[in-house]
Amino acid sequence: MASKRAKKTDYGVEMDMTPMIDIVFLLIVFFMVVTELSVQQAVVILPVASEAKVEEPQPDQVILVVNVSFNKENKQIIQLMNGSPLTPKELEIALKGEVAGHGKFEDNPNNPNGKKLSTLHVTIRCDQGADAGNIHSIFAACQKAGIYQVSCSAINERLEDPYSDQP
Amino acid sequence: MARRRKAKGDPGEVETDMTSMIDVVFLLLIFFMLATKFKMPEGTLRSYLPKNRGESNSRPILSETCRITLMNQGGQVIAWADQSQVPLNEQLESDYEQFTGVAGPDLNFIEDYISGMKSRYVPLDGNGSLPVVIDFAKEVPYKYVIDVLNICARQEIVNIAFAQPEVPLE
Repeated sequence: MASKRAKKTDYGVEMDMTPMIDIVFLLIVFFMVVTELSVQQAVVILPVASEAKVEEPQPDQVILVVNVSFNKENKQIIQLMNGSPLTPKELEIALKGEVAGHGKFEDNPNNPNGKKLSTLHVTIRCDQGADAGNIHSIFAACQKAGIYQVSCSAINERLEDPYSDQP
Repeated sequence: MARRRKAKGDPGEVETDMTSMIDVVFLLLIFFMLATKFKMPEGTLRSYLPKNRGESNSRPILSETCRITLMNQGGQVIAWADQSQVPLNEQLESDYEQFTGVAGPDLNFIEDYISGMKSRYVPLDGNGSLPVVIDFAKEVPYKYVIDVLNICARQEIVNIAFAQPEVPLE
């Protein structure tokens, strides 16, 4: 009797794995695409500002990111994109190089015969604990390079404690 | 013939064993699920630098301005709204203050002050808006500058200036 019943189950139900595998592959591809395995930008704990607006970049807009963060020795460093740490003077030279490389200018309405203004846009990503004096030097460097479109990055709300992994 | 073969189970028919593949696939799925960290959207507060070379404003300031001064005294941020000192927070407000353990100035006081000034402001030329000057010392944490900017943005102040230490001209 028992053997007969066991035999019966042999005929029985076979699970069709295909849809499950389809979905699982889909999920894998999704997470692979979404995952940032390498950190693209310097780790900066941005300040919170409820009024900060997320802006869609314009097609012809070129944005340079200036990061102000703490390095491993807890020293404040200024970087252009992911480059090496710069002094304010070096930042100014680097920005002038970017302006020349970009090569697009607009007229200066305040000073029609003077230096033209670059159409480059600079976004400052500064750690919330860093000295605000860095902003002074970045503003000065931007202005000397002929860049007037500057924005300060912030996040709208904090979802997790950024200092949880620090002593 | 065909039916007989099917019933018997064709010994020549190849079946792949899915088990190991599914094992690996699940492992990958769990890895990527754990490794994923969604990026927070970052917004910006726009600021335009003067298009001319920065120059000292030698015109006498006739209309009223609102000046927010931020200073750092031995790690303690002190704020002044024009002539009145901003009281300190009674509790640690933000994650930054909890991290440092030092209470900062009361931002609600600054906001109330600016909104009060804005409502009383009478522009000389009829259509200007309240000028706000943010004067911050070098050592003040950047967070407080952004906090004041954020308050200005919330109060729809468009005329904002940063006091800049004098930079030697080339």
